[in-house]
Amino acid sequence: MSGLILNAAICVAIALSAFAFAWTLHKQDPKGKSAPSLKALIIFWVLVALSFLIIGARVIAAIYGNTSMDVLCYYISSIPLSFLPVPLVFFIVYVVTGDRKSSWGLALLFLVFGAVYLWFLFISELTPPTVTYWATIITIASDIAITIYLSALFIVPTAMVIVLLGLILARKIPKRERYRIALTLVAISLVCDFILVDALAIDCVMQVVSRIFILISVVLAFLAYHPPDAVQDRLKLREIHGDAFDDSEDSDTSDITDTEVADE
Amino acid sequence: MSRINIAHEREVAAYFQSLGINQGCGDVQYRLIALVLAGNEGKITRFSDIRAYTDHVADRGSVASKLKTVFLLEGLAERVQRGGYVVTDKGLVAARFIEETSKFYRKSVRIDAIIERIP
Repeated sequence: MSGLILNAAICVAIALSAFAFAWTLHKQDPKGKSAPSLKALIIFWVLVALSFLIIGARVIAAIYGNTSMDVLCYYISSIPLSFLPVPLVFFIVYVVTGDRKSSWGLALLFLVFGAVYLWFLFISELTPPTVTYWATIITIASDIAITIYLSALFIVPTAMVIVLLGLILARKIPKRERYRIALTLVAISLVCDFILVDALAIDCVMQVVSRIFILISVVLAFLAYHPPDAVQDRLKLREIHGDAFDDSEDSDTSDITDTEVADE
Repeated sequence: MSRINIAHEREVAAYFQSLGINQGCGDVQYRLIALVLAGNEGKITRFSDIRAYTDHVADRGSVASKLKTVFLLEGLAERVQRGGYVVTDKGLVAARFIEETSKFYRKSVRIDAIIERIP
């Protein structure tokens, strides 16, 4: 029983932290051309939060032995989960190409994949939930649904994230930007991977462990945008501005070599 | 060598000037002269061939001066007749470097655009 309570608590923690992160992104001013990708990122994290809120409710239903509620919550949570790659694909394609039309086109393709997956899920038979000490597990009897879920919905978007990550890390860009972008992409990739592990888990402990990693990934994504002072100092990410420095008395550059270089 | 795009070369030169590189790859005259000479490899390049490109960006005198003080002096080109020049091996290396800087510019601009689109 306490294992299930821990499981439910992790789900609620994921939901709350993902909502909080989406809220901080919503409060952020989009710079230049980043407005569409920011919206896609917000939708992605809101979908993660919604999914885990419903999954949390499902685990609570399992604690009280309400099987019909457990199955109902499974079906409802499948809806945001199956459309999770849509904003992610839009985000990646838009960031790489800068073309809204092709981003919408590919995102719609993944919307169709999600709808097809849901169709096969709803028409296929589910095994009754197996409630163990740690988790509640439902297995889908449809091979097509599992194949679509695996290949189209999670492996392709994760591969896209990794390609984008490689593309950015291969270039010399400012450390602060590199930290933010790399940590965001790694967090998204980890969330996708562990949602996949969670969905396909046949071992009850595996489900809890994958949810702990999802929670860690959401925290990582938050830290990407709000690095703590200690991390900023350690990785030398802090921006140094000269706004407060009055250089009107220091316009003569003839002594730069004598004084400033000597200081170093 | 493909046809030279003057607007693109001017754009690339402006990019390198913005990085504080005003000579060589940051100099549009240098870029155009090197590319025209390399494009005519194995043939005599007439000064009028060079001017067909450089007239859009600089006056005749400064192009002639650049040709004399940089290309001829450093051995990137050789004067073979009145108003006729041939590119040397060093000149071909210079032209190849200019092409590489164009590639660098394209990659740089592309990655900057990607970073700009990430929130």
